Amino acid sequence: MKNTIEKILKIDRRLIFLALTLLLVFPIVRPLGLPNKNIGNEVKALHDKIEGLPAGSFLMLSLDYDPATRPELHPQAVAVIKHAFRKDLRIMILTLNAGATGLIDEIGERIPKDIAPSKKYGTDYVILPYQPNPVAVMTQLGMDMFQIYDKDRDGADLKSMPVMKGIRNVKDMQLGMCITGTAMLDYWVAYTADKFKMPFAGGTTAVSQIGYAPYLQTGQLKGLMGGMKGAADYELLIGEKEKGTAGLDALSLAHIMVIALIVVANIMMLWLKYL
Amino acid sequence: MSETMLIFGGWVAAGLTIFLFSFLYKDNPFFKTAEHLYLGAGMGWVFQTVLFQTWIPKVWDPLTKQGDWTVLVPTVLGLTLVTQFFPRVSWLSRYGFTFIMGYGSGLVIPLTISTDLLKQIGGTMAPFMVSEINRGNIWSLVNGSIIAIGFICVLFYFFFSVEHKGAIKKASNIGIYFLMLYFGAAFGNTVMGRFSLLYGRFDDLYKYSAPKYFYATHVILAALVIYFIVDHFRTRKPAVEEEAA
Amino acid sequence: MTLIKKHIPLAICFIVGLLTLSSYYVPTQSSEKYVETMNKWENIVAGFAFLLGLFSLFFSHTRKITRRVDGWGYSLFVFVGFLAMVVPAIVSNGKQMIGADLTGLGWGYRFLFNALSGTMFSVLAFYIVSTAYRAFRIKSAQAGVLFAAALVLMLAKVPLGQMIWEGLFGWTGAWDIAQIGQWLMDVPAVAGKRGIMMGLAIGGIVTALKIIFGIERQYMGKD
Repeated sequence: MKNTIEKILKIDRRLIFLALTLLLVFPIVRPLGLPNKNIGNEVKALHDKIEGLPAGSFLMLSLDYDPATRPELHPQAVAVIKHAFRKDLRIMILTLNAGATGLIDEIGERIPKDIAPSKKYGTDYVILPYQPNPVAVMTQLGMDMFQIYDKDRDGADLKSMPVMKGIRNVKDMQLGMCITGTAMLDYWVAYTADKFKMPFAGGTTAVSQIGYAPYLQTGQLKGLMGGMKGAADYELLIGEKEKGTAGLDALSLAHIMVIALIVVANIMMLWLKYL
Repeated sequence: MSETMLIFGGWVAAGLTIFLFSFLYKDNPFFKTAEHLYLGAGMGWVFQTVLFQTWIPKVWDPLTKQGDWTVLVPTVLGLTLVTQFFPRVSWLSRYGFTFIMGYGSGLVIPLTISTDLLKQIGGTMAPFMVSEINRGNIWSLVNGSIIAIGFICVLFYFFFSVEHKGAIKKASNIGIYFLMLYFGAAFGNTVMGRFSLLYGRFDDLYKYSAPKYFYATHVILAALVIYFIVDHFRTRKPAVEEEAA
Repeated sequence: MTLIKKHIPLAICFIVGLLTLSSYYVPTQSSEKYVETMNKWENIVAGFAFLLGLFSLFFSHTRKITRRVDGWGYSLFVFVGFLAMVVPAIVSNGKQMIGADLTGLGWGYRFLFNALSGTMFSVLAFYIVSTAYRAFRIKSAQAGVLFAAALVLMLAKVPLGQMIWEGLFGWTGAWDIAQIGQWLMDVPAVAGKRGIMMGLAIGGIVTALKIIFGIERQYMGKD
């Protein structure tokens, strides 16, 4: 008996890898359709904040993630943009992460196709080019944004665009949001939200989400989406299920697997100890 | 871009993904190739971003088109950094480094004071303000008290210059439990985050297994399995021959 | 020589650091202008800092190729990957899309960089699972608390976890697992995180002041 338990405890890890692979692939091939009942308070707060903005309000959206964090953060970005367009908000998309430019291009491709075909570039939304120095950008956005952003990503003059009417710095904007897998949100909070008293919200990976709980509590962040669950919750709130919701089924199985493995390993360890 | 290039792209993406995952079974030349490609492609991506977003619009254009000579100052400072590779003149790089470090340090101080110190202390004390207590929300007061006690106990744990005994030891032990709760929650979130990424990769592989991409995932996976089987018998052969001898 | 090699760089660090610090707390016209200029300059210098890493990588792999070190063939792929991103970028002038059409750079980003970068990070998930099985041993009360917190979070975040909790404890009328998970994130975890943030903040401020005043000079290299 003791030998069997020891063998199981020392099982080849490649079998564990295979089990995890099968558990994650199964829901992709055959979706489970599990119900997502509990929506996080911080996601609801973000949704309510955007829902409460009048038409024509200006949303600054900084998408600072790269392909590595795409599965968690891209659905968040898409969901927020869909909601903002539904509320007829003006959107300015920018990035301080070199790896995000391609993902922003994908969003830019999708807006006229399926996200919001009625919205016009330059009138309802604009996409700015990548800037390498985050703190410089944040400080400048609080003073005179056209000093650092004089052209959009295609080289067209920014100041003359209808979407930028009445906007000179973040004090003229109604909400700022940063979706990132790095510590960029901390910088946005310190250099923009706190310094210029701009209402700010965030979207982060599940790994980083817990670190922002203090900011939610102090009101430095008006709302927060965390990981794929955050994206799925937001999709449920706006009534448009997409990649966030689809991924949650696979995550369900994987989480249960990790819990089961830890519990089983510890039970066997105790069993061995008292055998 | 033609349909052929897009399908070829699907094959490249599926192939590189499977090559990198193959390391989970065993180290192999395909993984090493993909790993080195990643290194080069990553650097190439950042290089082209810096070229087209910084050097050309912020140095070249202002210098040549607007005659703005002031951009030469940061350019020279930036170039001094590269002298790191030449031992005789590597001391020049100190000019670039000290500029970066001075600027960075000057920025970090107000950032951490306002966001990580003052706001957090303020947030901890907020539930105890008279205006909050007057609202009569008992749960807010209870939660606020737990946070305040936990916060102080964690700080006691980090007081390494004072010996942990008596009341300080008790407080620091409570602090450890709060830290364990935080780390446990962080572990839970980390697990979720990594699985989300993995799910994303499998989703892409599933996309590239479609007939549109000529079953790229299946073909590459099958080829890799065949390689591992052949390699297994190839490396096992000398032991079998020895035994036969 | 010491003046040029040591004192002037330290003076630059001191002046730039002090001016940047004071510009945050002294919002005048000239401090705003200073911040604007410094921001632009920092932008440019940071762009050159990247070159350090790039040249280091190239030197290392070129040496491997010229000396025919074991596995030198793989080093060729570093340059292949680099050129695969840079050459199309130069051809398309840094644009990933021209109109509705994908350029060479766009292709490289979508099918090369995306796949490689995403996969590299996601491989960690496998190691988390196998390590959790092999090394996560609850041998003390503190480890038990850590596991309990992780368990609550992992169950709370996914529909299946919520269903399992309801099935096991729903009849007691106790709190929903999602509510417990939310409370865990909002209260005790905040306390832990705040303590760590405070410690890091104080350490960061002290180090930054040491750098500005020239006490911390390791980044300058050997004298």
